[in-house]
Amino acid sequence: MKNVKMIALICGAIFALGFPLVVHTSYYIHILFMVYLFAALGVGWNLIGGYGAQLSLGHSIFFAIGAYVPVLLMLNFHISPLIGGIAGIGLALLAAALIGLPCFRLRGPYFALATIAAGEITRTLLLHFQGVTGGANGLPIPFHGDDALNLQFSTKAPYYYLALTLLVVVFLLVRYLEKEKVGLYLAAIREDQDAAESLGVKTMHIKLLAFMLSAAIAAAGGQIYAFTVAYIDPDGVASINLSIEIATVVIVGGIGRLWGPVLGAAVVILLTELTNIYLGAMRSGASLGMYGLLLIIVILLRPDGLISLFDRFDPELNKKGSK
Amino acid sequence: MGTGIFLQTTLNGLMIGGVYALVAVGLTLIFGVMKIVNFAQGEFVMLGMYISWMLAHFAGIGPYEGLAISAVIMFLIGYLVFRLLIVRVIGKKDEEFILLTLGLSIFLQNAILMIFSADYLTVTSSMKDSALSFADLTLTLPRIIAFSVALTAVAVLTFLLQKTDTGRAMRACAESREIATVLGINPMRSFTLAFCIGIALAGIAGVLLTPMFYVYPGVGTLFNTTAFVVVVLGGMGSVPGALLGGLIIGIVESLTGSYVSLDLSQLGTFVIFLIVLFFRPSGLFGKRT
Repeated sequence: MKNVKMIALICGAIFALGFPLVVHTSYYIHILFMVYLFAALGVGWNLIGGYGAQLSLGHSIFFAIGAYVPVLLMLNFHISPLIGGIAGIGLALLAAALIGLPCFRLRGPYFALATIAAGEITRTLLLHFQGVTGGANGLPIPFHGDDALNLQFSTKAPYYYLALTLLVVVFLLVRYLEKEKVGLYLAAIREDQDAAESLGVKTMHIKLLAFMLSAAIAAAGGQIYAFTVAYIDPDGVASINLSIEIATVVIVGGIGRLWGPVLGAAVVILLTELTNIYLGAMRSGASLGMYGLLLIIVILLRPDGLISLFDRFDPELNKKGSK
Repeated sequence: MGTGIFLQTTLNGLMIGGVYALVAVGLTLIFGVMKIVNFAQGEFVMLGMYISWMLAHFAGIGPYEGLAISAVIMFLIGYLVFRLLIVRVIGKKDEEFILLTLGLSIFLQNAILMIFSADYLTVTSSMKDSALSFADLTLTLPRIIAFSVALTAVAVLTFLLQKTDTGRAMRACAESREIATVLGINPMRSFTLAFCIGIALAGIAGVLLTPMFYVYPGVGTLFNTTAFVVVVLGGMGSVPGALLGGLIIGIVESLTGSYVSLDLSQLGTFVIFLIVLFFRPSGLFGKRT
């Protein structure tokens, strides 16, 4: 079984690394780019939403910060997005602390509602301060030729590898944390917050830490997205829909499972692209409607996500008798 | 002149607040009895608006004349949704319900977008442009009707909850599902009824809004968030709280819109929301837990 896993992993790696060398259609590269991006966002969201079971519906805030900060710094002050990106991540960490500190006193639906409100405030502010953010018109990033320092490339492949790198880094980080104390504390919080607290787990600290890490990942994703698409606007990077899409990817794949968001992103993004191809030309709304439908179907039929379909093939899981 | 504008703005806010209250009362009823937050409440307002539009467009029935028909249709839609979806997650974790209704909300929004496209539709009524004037103040008839119908609906619901056996059963389920069951109350029946009434109230609010608002697929989001704010402000599960909360939010939004900036009118609402969540999550009328 270990060998099968290993072979699958190596095949996956060869496929991911070699794809842009063989396929040059930028549309296909873009689809895989979106899969990696959403997988990375999902793995990050899983930290707090899955392992800690704190349903954040405001991750668009951090995605938007990660997108707007480096773009604004570059457009206004000619600061390289490599530095601007760090500033964006820093600001996202700060925002996560500011939002998390009060919001983590709330439980269940109250927490979800508070994050929705925080997300809507962010979007409203981005729309309002047109002088800086361009308001609803958004900010196009003009192309001045290939320039790695400014994250400008004439082909899609470099962005593809950026997203892939982000996914791998984030995945390894979360895989590491999952087995560390933080992961165990988060699991304790998920099972019973009060019990965890009474056993001496500093629930507020742990939740904040997971939330901030998760926010930093979302910000990094936002930055890569902004420079790939070369255009950002509040409805694209700061809407509640984006927050829901990130959560959907995780839930469809398997909430609180390491590989869940990766599988979820592949399924969800490919399905949405297919809907766009077959229905999108005539009907707008098809792809987002697909998100809603998937979410409903998975919650009703497989609340543990699609990844749970593979569990029966995993002797390690079956041996322990867990689900 | 200053006070004139202030009074007019406050009054406009109060009238629209009545409609917010109606949406929120539906939400709070569902929460109170079933202990779950319906994240798709705004989309049912949107459905109510489209039903009202279809009645006007295909059958020539105006929004006010067709109010009862729309309410019945929405009640049935509520029943369908309850039977098909909601019933399967009762008694499960909070997250599952939140995600299910979120999924429903996006699905409904985009299904309507696919059917009707993103066009802004309008429903006209002969009463649309009539207005009442008193001193410097003017109130358009649709606003007055919306406000009065909303208040009446809340009054009827309160009567139902306080004075009838069905209502008492619902309140018993709200207090404790187990004890209610022991007393011979069928909780599923109360759940179904609470959900369907909640959805019908959202639908009625939608119908009342059509003469004032454009009808488009995304219009529900506006009411979704507002309804959450109102419910939390009034206290989750409290009907009088939702009524008062709706009126307050209507006024706050209206005042922010005219005195700060029109595109920030929702911001005032959200700020109040966060303040209430942090300092008094049980709301004005809610029980402290």
